Amino acid sequence: MAAKGIPDLRTLLGSRRGGASRRDARPHRGPPEVRHTGRGSNADDAVRNTDQDAAGSRVSCVDLGYLHDPYAKLFALEPATRRLPLLNRGTYVRTSAIDLLIDRFMMAAPETAKQIISLGAGTDTRYFRLCDKYPSAKLVYHEIDFPTNTAAKLAAIQRHAQLHSKLRTDSPQDPASLGPGATTYHSATYNVHALDLRSLAHTIADATPQTLPNLDPSIPTLILSEMCLVYLQASTVSSIISRFVNDFLPTPTPVSLVLYEPILPNDAFGRVMTSNLSSRNIYLPTLSAYPELGDQRARLKQYGLADGAKAADNEWIWREWIPEEEKERVAGLEFLDEMEELDLLLKHYCVAWGWRDDGQGVFSEAWRDIRDAGG
Amino acid sequence: MSIGGSDLDKAIAQLRACRPIPENQVRELCYKARELLIEEGNVVGVNAPVTICGDIHGQFHDLMELFRVGGDVPDTNYLFMGDFVDRGFYSLESFLLLLCLKVRYPDRLTLIRGNHESRQITTVYGFYDECLRKYGSANVWRYCCDVFDYLALGALVTGASTSLTPTDGPLSDTLNADTLPDPDAELEIETLSSTGEIMYRYARNSSPQASSQPTSNPPSSPNASTTPSRVGAAGTGATSSANGSTHNEGGAVLCVHGGLSPLIDKIDKIRLLDRKQEVPHEGAMCDLLWSDPDEIDGWGLSPRGAGFLFGADIVKHFNHQNDLSLIARAHQLVMEGFKEMFDNTIVTVWSAPNYCYRCGNVAAILELDEDGSNEGYVRRSNGDAGRLKAPLVQKRLEGPGRRYRVFEAAPQDSRGMPAKKPVADYFL
Ligand SMILES: C[S@@+](CC[C@H](N)C(=O)[O-])C[C@H]1O[C@@H](n2cnc3c(N)ncnc32)[C@H](O)[C@@H]1O
Repeated sequence: MAAKGIPDLRTLLGSRRGGASRRDARPHRGPPEVRHTGRGSNADDAVRNTDQDAAGSRVSCVDLGYLHDPYAKLFALEPATRRLPLLNRGTYVRTSAIDLLIDRFMMAAPETAKQIISLGAGTDTRYFRLCDKYPSAKLVYHEIDFPTNTAAKLAAIQRHAQLHSKLRTDSPQDPASLGPGATTYHSATYNVHALDLRSLAHTIADATPQTLPNLDPSIPTLILSEMCLVYLQASTVSSIISRFVNDFLPTPTPVSLVLYEPILPNDAFGRVMTSNLSSRNIYLPTLSAYPELGDQRARLKQYGLADGAKAADNEWIWREWIPEEEKERVAGLEFLDEMEELDLLLKHYCVAWGWRDDGQGVFSEAWRDIRDAGG
Repeated sequence: MSIGGSDLDKAIAQLRACRPIPENQVRELCYKARELLIEEGNVVGVNAPVTICGDIHGQFHDLMELFRVGGDVPDTNYLFMGDFVDRGFYSLESFLLLLCLKVRYPDRLTLIRGNHESRQITTVYGFYDECLRKYGSANVWRYCCDVFDYLALGALVTGASTSLTPTDGPLSDTLNADTLPDPDAELEIETLSSTGEIMYRYARNSSPQASSQPTSNPPSSPNASTTPSRVGAAGTGATSSANGSTHNEGGAVLCVHGGLSPLIDKIDKIRLLDRKQEVPHEGAMCDLLWSDPDEIDGWGLSPRGAGFLFGADIVKHFNHQNDLSLIARAHQLVMEGFKEMFDNTIVTVWSAPNYCYRCGNVAAILELDEDGSNEGYVRRSNGDAGRLKAPLVQKRLEGPGRRYRVFEAAPQDSRGMPAKKPVADYFL
């Protein structure tokens, strides 16, 4: 039965076979602590908990060799449950696509100081991976999330030397000395802000321009929303982005926004997705506001990111961005008996990226060769 | 204890209520089933009328919906093309019910093997975990896998009528009555909704332009990105070579889970395989369960990592060589439930609606009527007995009349378990 080139799935199963079912392994709901404005705390809890879902998907990918990320496991609260091959493939495409955009940004004008703001960062490991990959880069990294999630993240950082050793020592705060419930962390390179993003949305009465500690208003800044802004109302999102690109990072600061989120809510798959997620108390308001790739490009322009506004779905990204050799490697990791479903799934997620840099700044240079899906 | 007669009927009743039967009964049932299946050839001979079904994947409530739409066993003669297990939450109940029905009504149910009827695949895609969860040990999974090894690899349907008796039913609102063929015309294709409404009709020899597209499956449209252009037997090319005489001997229909193999040019070669084993990673048996038709010339590598892709030329040549008019297969999700390809020489039938509780697709089953000329045919023999030797004509054999019944997922409340509504995974 030993055929070359086809992995033996049973050896890949690891020790978790026969463990709790996937559904049983869902993270437990946290206590309903801080109340936020908006839909009410149940929906907020559900949204906060999506982060452990993302973390688990990452760990599954790392365990099976899709992704190299020594930090993913350190942030996951539950032991990893092996995800289905098609989900692993999807997580792989998602992470690789965003990594590619960020890598190009890091490599363009390497001497220039740069900033990344990760909205709803959750357990994202990018800061730590970037430290390894670009040890001499001048990078200021900001993460924003609800206090529960930032507290969990800082607790994990404190627990693991592998993580807190990455926090550069010029910090006024020693991470090891953070109290057990710490929700924020500030340094010249890494910042964790406990914040409900909705509090940044403009209202007419709101005239006090707030800013974030250590946010540099003038260096090229990439804003990342990997499955974050999609949980908010489109008008709220516009206000939040405007707060960043107009107030915190005023022109001529080069600024860009990278989005990863679902699309196509109106076809059969999209309708089922919307209804399945709502039964988990998860709502995706911007999905109906920007249903197609064209809408994603248009919205980037509306935000004032007019020097480039691009979007591609993940099926296209898999085909067009991932080198053949790498595709072969990934395809060899697991039998994938879900080709049609995978196709559907990948077509329903997109990466959109837009920027403002006068057409000749770091983003124009970094992303010049990155193709989007027609448009 | 033994599982015969009334015990079997009790087990059937229990499984129909979606309740697993005790482990010792499963063992007995699997033993009986194996005794029965061992007598079947690799290619089972099946007489029309028959209702051909595609993947089920443990969607028990939808299987009940299928029986509701297609008729119950033993009233309807069913042929299931594999993939009974994995992915859905009730693989165990679905497979055991089908197996009980097989043992109870061996002549009214044909089960062939899909690529998921395998030890290796079921450990990844859910059936193994489900058995462990429901019984606390892997014994039941083992019994079932032993049955998998005995399932036939294909079936050959003969005696199907080349024309359908028009179904007496109301016209669907979405059907434009002007596109209906002349009532006297020979009916080749009919599509019905789950409530028996006529959604589409196509007469043999009619010009493709005159017929409507059978895209009237409301739940799955509009689905621009995933709807292939020639879904659902649009009349295009349906009669490219058949004209004139309306009572030709129709060719036989080969049913397999996946498709063809470069190692198999004649059906007789399938009969020679030693099938009683785990599905191998390569070779003819693997290909029959894993391959897919595709818009290519000749053979291609499959992105699934097993089996091959095969083009129209391969199918047409194979059908000609084997006096077939049609290949029916499953294996690939089709949003509209069925999809005919390559001038109607091959059809994909998909019977798991809203696949994985996520895909939003409809499902279909394919009914073939009998042509009434099958007297004296020996049932369930090795498939070739009694087959007429087709005359040596270059002309393509006329395909059977095909009635597709399209159905949606069983309503949520019929699952009787709203609290445990299945949760599908997404990227969050
Ligand atoms: C699905 S997770 C994604 C986490 C991470 N970006 C990733 O892709 O792995 C969504 C995250 O956005 C955060 N989030 C959602 N709405 C937020 C808000 N209004 N303010 C701050 N964070 C929010 C959630 O708490 C959660 O950590």
